[in-house]
Amino acid sequence: MNALPSPPTQPLLEIRNLTIRYREGESKITAVRDVSFALKPRGSLAIVGESGSGKSSVAGAILNFLGPEAEISGAILFEGQDIAGLAPAQRRHMLGRRIGAVFQDPFTSLNPAIRIGRQIAEPMVQHLGLPLTEALRRAETALQEMGIDRAAEVARAFPHQLSGGMKQRALIAAALACEPPLLILDEPTTALDVTVEAQILRLLSRLRRDKGITLLFISHNLSVVRRLCDDVAVMYASQLVELGDVHRVLERPAHPYSKGLLASRPPLVAASRQSRLAAIAGQIPATPEPDAGCVFAPRCPFHEPKCSDGPQPMTITPDGHWVRCWKPDALQPWPRQQVTAATKPAFRRGDALVNATQLSKTFDAASGLTTWRLSVAGGRPRVYRQPRRVPAVNDVSFSISPGEVLGLVGESGCGKSTLGRLLLQLLRQSAGSVEFDGDDLARLPAQALSPFRKEAQIVFQNVGSSLNPRLSIGEALERPLALFRLAKPRDRTRRVETLLDMVRLPATYRKRFPHQLSGGERQRVAIARALATEPRFIVCDEPVSALDVSVQATIVNLLADLRDAFGLSYLFISHDLAVVAQLSDRIAVMYRGRICEIGTAAEVLAPPHHPYTRMLLASAEDDEAAEEPAAGGGIAAAAHSGCVFAARCPHKLGPLCDTTPPLRALSPSHAIACHLDPLPDAVVPREFVGAATLGTG
Amino acid sequence: MVGGTLVLSLLAVAVVAQWIAPYPYDQMHIRDRFLPPSLHYLAGTDEYGRDVFSRLLFGSQLSLALGVTATLISMGIGVPLGLIAGYRRGATDELITRTLDVMMAFPPIMLVLLILAVTPPSLMKTAIAIGVLAVAPIARVTRSVTLDLMSGEFIEAARARGERLRYMLMRELLPNVWPLLMVEASLRVVFAVLLGAVLSFLGFGVQPPAADWGLMISNGRAFVDTAPWISLAPGIAMSITVIAISLVGDGLREVLDPGLRTR
Amino acid sequence: MAAYVMQRLGTVVVIMVAMSMLVFLATHALPSNTAALILGQYSTPETQAALEHKLGLDQPLPVQYWHWASRMLEGDMGQSLEMERPVAPILWDAFGRSAILAITSMAVVSTLGLALGVIAAVWRGRWPDHAASIFTYFGVSLPEFYWGLVFILVFGSTFHLLPSSGYADLSDGLGAFLAHLVLPVATLTLTLLAHVARLTRSSMVEALESMYVKVARARGLPERLVIVRHALRNALIPSITVLAQDFGFLIGGIVAVETVFAYPGLGRMLVGALERQDLPMMQAAILVLTGVYCLANLTADLLYGVANPRIRYGGSID
Repeated sequence: MNALPSPPTQPLLEIRNLTIRYREGESKITAVRDVSFALKPRGSLAIVGESGSGKSSVAGAILNFLGPEAEISGAILFEGQDIAGLAPAQRRHMLGRRIGAVFQDPFTSLNPAIRIGRQIAEPMVQHLGLPLTEALRRAETALQEMGIDRAAEVARAFPHQLSGGMKQRALIAAALACEPPLLILDEPTTALDVTVEAQILRLLSRLRRDKGITLLFISHNLSVVRRLCDDVAVMYASQLVELGDVHRVLERPAHPYSKGLLASRPPLVAASRQSRLAAIAGQIPATPEPDAGCVFAPRCPFHEPKCSDGPQPMTITPDGHWVRCWKPDALQPWPRQQVTAATKPAFRRGDALVNATQLSKTFDAASGLTTWRLSVAGGRPRVYRQPRRVPAVNDVSFSISPGEVLGLVGESGCGKSTLGRLLLQLLRQSAGSVEFDGDDLARLPAQALSPFRKEAQIVFQNVGSSLNPRLSIGEALERPLALFRLAKPRDRTRRVETLLDMVRLPATYRKRFPHQLSGGERQRVAIARALATEPRFIVCDEPVSALDVSVQATIVNLLADLRDAFGLSYLFISHDLAVVAQLSDRIAVMYRGRICEIGTAAEVLAPPHHPYTRMLLASAEDDEAAEEPAAGGGIAAAAHSGCVFAARCPHKLGPLCDTTPPLRALSPSHAIACHLDPLPDAVVPREFVGAATLGTG
Repeated sequence: MVGGTLVLSLLAVAVVAQWIAPYPYDQMHIRDRFLPPSLHYLAGTDEYGRDVFSRLLFGSQLSLALGVTATLISMGIGVPLGLIAGYRRGATDELITRTLDVMMAFPPIMLVLLILAVTPPSLMKTAIAIGVLAVAPIARVTRSVTLDLMSGEFIEAARARGERLRYMLMRELLPNVWPLLMVEASLRVVFAVLLGAVLSFLGFGVQPPAADWGLMISNGRAFVDTAPWISLAPGIAMSITVIAISLVGDGLREVLDPGLRTR
Repeated sequence: MAAYVMQRLGTVVVIMVAMSMLVFLATHALPSNTAALILGQYSTPETQAALEHKLGLDQPLPVQYWHWASRMLEGDMGQSLEMERPVAPILWDAFGRSAILAITSMAVVSTLGLALGVIAAVWRGRWPDHAASIFTYFGVSLPEFYWGLVFILVFGSTFHLLPSSGYADLSDGLGAFLAHLVLPVATLTLTLLAHVARLTRSSMVEALESMYVKVARARGLPERLVIVRHALRNALIPSITVLAQDFGFLIGGIVAVETVFAYPGLGRMLVGALERQDLPMMQAAILVLTGVYCLANLTADLLYGVANPRIRYGGSID
């Protein structure tokens, strides 16, 4: 079946009844079930879904990426030809020449031993028959088109010398080397910082406009595709559940799953303590049974007995929109979660529970023999020791009251994780102090640290490695109880079950091991482990960043519920401003070790902003004001005095910005570290200080 | 798992060698010298009329004892060193690593010869010498596995509880290090057996009249034209032993690898 | 890169010094009395004391070490206790002959071993891989001297194809020279070949299954190009380290192989010196062999630094 009514022009890419099965040992897993869609020339389609939805397998099938364990049936028509049936040599030629691909992880996609320019030039030599010198020249031009201004230097560099954003740009250049009509992108920005992501998306948008490339964009992030794509296909548990125009899907989603997905994304506003994110209950089924009924039915709030009667086919609405649901028009918006008004009042800003004063941490980048340097200065060799000092955290001060949530926002490398660990004394600060409940932690004798450890805990980002793989859940949860003597041996089992209940996991999980649990479940166990010591303060270090969007909402809600139930304080660290805004009472924005802006959530999200905050907001809203003066390529290490953001700031004032800006208070609770006075308001046309821009994207 | 059964049977044979061997290893049958393999003497006799097959069985005791002892010594020293170096980092780590580097700068056999040449050799001393030699590679492997594990956040979670060093090493790190160590251990046993054979062959290991395989091969050298079985038989025995242990090691690695990748 | 080179050079110097100290200490821990050995039947407490004083053996150890080390650096390796001749010339002669064996073997091991590993990796799961696997299993399961004996038995005694011992100088004719080399070299290479092939296979497999190779294929590059230019290039970098490690095993192997084949090289000399407790010879031989290994490692490290772009061009562009 054709997904869209046949347009006058033949579709560039057409998928018909694509089904992909993987052999795993004895059994077979169906990763993609009967998926069909068409992509017209110069169009762009996004395939959106969470992990396990099968979206990457679709791309894999087109690109012949899947191994021999994959069984592919159905037709993949490119320019009218079924490429699945092509001989390997022809398919190879088609892949290089007519279809370009960019993948998720720029760090492993480039060959570490070959120069960038060479890698871009290779396909040109192979498929276009160009001589190497000509191909290299074109490669350099391509890099320039991607917005890299030192293209010659980059072309001669090796992958490890570039930042993530630059690598991805190089990869896009390589994919487009032979000027293919179709470009497939599999989660190309997931591994990148949010500001870099915005730049890459803008680049793609411009390329699409200028070169007329057709895009197939695969992502888990619905909002990212808004600007770039005309149509969206939503996949759930190996099936296509909705397909249609992007604005229709994003504004009036038809399928319950799409509704739920969109609803669970936190809006970029300061939320009240009572609000909770709309979440999709349950989990993605491990072995979906579409023949028994609609696969989404168990989790669907609009579920009726008829939904589980038999397989749910795709229906087409009058305006050409495809939905795998039999009553899409009759459905309400996704139910918003209501929380009964919290019986506890909002926290009182009284004495601080946690107080950080002028906290700094500098890591010695090298150690031992490698710090010795040989220099031949003035004709005489000299051997000297040169430590390379990197201030990860630089003169940071703030306080957190009991029951308060302070959100800490920044991109990778800004020092937020280091700051979290400093608060817990997992790292020793180089300067400054951390006080907990009035006690200066650095001055406490070693024995006295133990009660502190009980009161302050941490939850990590990496769900894969935050639990000891060799300990069962029960053992992992019992350990804190035993260590701090919080329960007598015979009471421990019951206490463990209580903890599991608090994080909404069944008591039977006690006997399971981490690898048997899903990502979201493991994170709940990590939270339960943190709760086991009955702490008053928890550092949450990017606890939801590694989770699917729908699971994120549940965990954020859980953290909010626990906060209310036990009066906990959090330092909530994340790179995602929307998630932080949902949970936090106050927000601190961090860049390269310094706090740029700190205030209540409402104050930080509303103008006036620190220029960096404005850039983050603009990236999140995909605003053009997120433009940077030059494609700098990210947060590099070099420390220099003065405003840390000066190099990327569109409002740089010149020499003044080489001095450290003071933290100026705009209100009793709001402070911004910037020389600019007055600070720029939210929506102002770009004001650049001369430098070349990324193009009119 | 073929290796497993082989190894177990080898172990069994070694243990009961004394009882199942047809003849004591040093019993000479002067009139029956240089006899080729027959029903009486399953692998023939050597230059002193001793039954080669019985000597093989006793030799298995020596070789396995050597292999296991040497490996235990090296692991007993190497594993804690590696764990501490990986966990502590900083100056401790550098000190340990530099020392290991110096030890590894010696060609393997030199270190052992150095130790053995200066004292009269014996089985125990050979085991100790080989054990000491293997400390460096084992410590290195342990250290790199530990470093890998240290980046896992469950270690930080444990530190956030204020766990002490002993708990960290024993309950958090060690259980995760064991599987890889087992694989490495099987390699080390093989290495020890082979090196022990070389040493005995050269005359620096076990001394006659012990029935060590290397020694047997060395003794049989002079008669390799006329009575090749004296030298060949111990080789076959050694080869079976080594292959069996290697199979176990490989099998272990296969079993453990997917399990370890679930992180 | 400069920092890397500096660091390696520094480490080598430290190691050589530490090593020489160890050798010195170990040999001086000998219970036997050097003076008594030299004097033989003329040894009495007085003559021993006199000789010890003359030889400087009654001075504190660090001083003795200093004298010994400085002499070594000048090239004077002392007198062989047994042969009563200077050690140095004998040693360097033997060293030359061993070097021929070592270099030939390393050359064969490098080329064949790498080739075998690559073939096994590219055709993994199919018969070339299985064949290579069986070969390597047997290769590593027996010590070199055993293979040496087998070769002697087969090629020497039974079929009389090749000489089973000794050494023939080039002046005796290229044929004889080579003939005497074949068996020892073959013996040495056999075990090492297996080791190198195995490790090359696994690093090549890792390269072949890496993301960048998949991406190269997705760009439609022909398989041969992918294997040679992309995978091999990366797989060979760790092989350098493996070969260096094997050089150490080679040195051990040389000792055994030279004994089996009665090849008059440094290894055989060392064994003789150890048996006869010829102290100066022992020290010199061990020192030279270990020094060579150190240099080999240094060379390998430098090669690795050149081959690995991360080290050669450290740092980032931004």
